[in-house]
Amino acid sequence: MTASPPETGAAAVASRFAAMVGADSSSAEFGTAKIRVPAARWVEVHRTLREHLPFFSWLSAIDWTSDVAVGDPPEGTVEERFEVLSRLSDVTTGAGITISCDISKADPRIASLTGVFGGANWHEREAAEMFGIVFEGHPHLVKLYLPDGFLGHPLRKTFPLLSRDVKPWPGTVDVEDMPSSMNAEAGDQPEAGDAPEAGE
Amino acid sequence: MTDRHLLAMHHSEVQVSVELETPDVTLSLGPQHPSTHGVLRLVAKVDGEVINSVDPVIGYMHRGYEKLAEVRTYPQITALVNRIDWVSGFANEVPFMVALERLMGLEVPMRAQYIRLVLTEMARISSHLVFLSSYPLELGAATPLMHALRERERVLDLIEGVTGGRFHPNFNRIGGVKPAAGAGSNQKKVRQDLPEGFLDQSRDAMRNVLAVCDDMIDLVVGNEIFLERTKGVGVIPADRALEFGVSGPNLRGSGVRFDIRKTDDYLPYSRFDFDVPTGANGDCFDRYMVRFEEIRQAARIVIQACDTMPGGELQAKVPRVIKVPRGEVYVRAENPKGEMGYYVVSEGGRGPYRLKIRSASFSNISILPWLLQGQLVPDIIAILGSLDFVLGDVDR
Repeated sequence: MTASPPETGAAAVASRFAAMVGADSSSAEFGTAKIRVPAARWVEVHRTLREHLPFFSWLSAIDWTSDVAVGDPPEGTVEERFEVLSRLSDVTTGAGITISCDISKADPRIASLTGVFGGANWHEREAAEMFGIVFEGHPHLVKLYLPDGFLGHPLRKTFPLLSRDVKPWPGTVDVEDMPSSMNAEAGDQPEAGDAPEAGE
Repeated sequence: MTDRHLLAMHHSEVQVSVELETPDVTLSLGPQHPSTHGVLRLVAKVDGEVINSVDPVIGYMHRGYEKLAEVRTYPQITALVNRIDWVSGFANEVPFMVALERLMGLEVPMRAQYIRLVLTEMARISSHLVFLSSYPLELGAATPLMHALRERERVLDLIEGVTGGRFHPNFNRIGGVKPAAGAGSNQKKVRQDLPEGFLDQSRDAMRNVLAVCDDMIDLVVGNEIFLERTKGVGVIPADRALEFGVSGPNLRGSGVRFDIRKTDDYLPYSRFDFDVPTGANGDCFDRYMVRFEEIRQAARIVIQACDTMPGGELQAKVPRVIKVPRGEVYVRAENPKGEMGYYVVSEGGRGPYRLKIRSASFSNISILPWLLQGQLVPDIIAILGSLDFVLGDVDR
């Protein structure tokens, strides 16, 4: 077990596992190996990979949309979709890979991984309440963090952060503008002791 | 009548000649209970002394960091991630910073990396000392707590001396660590480095930590009650641990020699000589002993790093306003509780489009429903405590 630069290792890992499961595409940017698979093959791919990557790290999703209530919208136009992500890794070499698939927003559903990895149970419950994704075959798909009766799916980009509407944060003494108001010139901003000042 | 039933009856003083009717009783433990390390509620269905099923109820501490991150700039998020696992606040910052530095292509000065590494290991020592002393307390032994917390306070003093914060250092900056002190635009900034005498004090503190470990080994592991309550209790087989994403000392307690410090290069651990301790049985006792040995190894690393601390800058050159190029990156770290990772999706702005936080305690306790099934009620606390979780790290 010697540490190797992640960039060189990741490309080899991505292409190896992409070939193994017949992925649509693979990438290894910034040392992060990632493969894309169709949603229909989600469970089957994980079952195949489990023998080589037995450690279930996490599962989550990304809401891709230009219609954002919080933060900045993505650059250019994006295809409206949920991207479901999971991360598996090996425990002898440390090799890890992100498995990604797209599902439609109109009917966000995907098969549950609970039959392959027991640990998917809570991660899927979290993704279900946060994004409104239905994990078919999940034994107990009820809310995990949120109270019963909570309306909406907070990590959807259309879900506003209400406290921010009521009171701007963190107030007028802020060092930097919020991501959504990026038109201010850098030099005009007030300075504070904590700001990174490495250039000086 | 299961074996566990018979065992429980066998241990009781009263001889029971008839089979008792013990219909299912729901036992609600918490959410406010001293043994649950915060606000965790366990709803257990018990049949006599035997647990039929457990449903952990979490979310009382849920602060929605993944949502909050979407409306903050990258430097502002550092203050948030401190508060995920607050027993080792510094360690939470590092993988987040490394993720951003990878996206920005920054080369972090070696001195800054060493300081990160030293403070991360000190965070590990302080986190493990809390566990190693509070766990016996839960099983009825109060003395180890006094020994360990005294040394932990010295380690926290060292962290505070460098960063200004005992629990929430907020000391990492993109490209390195905080180099400047003093506020106000008119004042000349005073360049801040490690406090005078820090390296010597650290070496001394590490020797004290090693000494207190020796004291505690005698106190705890020589105690028969402790052994009875932990050996063979709460066994997690390696394959179960892996599929539930149980990581860190809990995984190594089950015999899996996996340490992200050895496989990844988020900090220059390859320059240091240290061992990765593992257990053999995966029981509460092994999880306890693995952390004991990890403190020793962490102290070794700190002493080596203090001996070889390079000079130079504390932060790479970064623009005044941080914009992170478009891309996706996952960086994980071997934190005291296990694998802590950040999946950062940047769209080129000043805050992330999406930040997925993978915290160790969440996965570590997700195994509880499986692990507690069929166990005895008195073992709940022994098993719960042995997983060493922090509710802030569970709920995020």
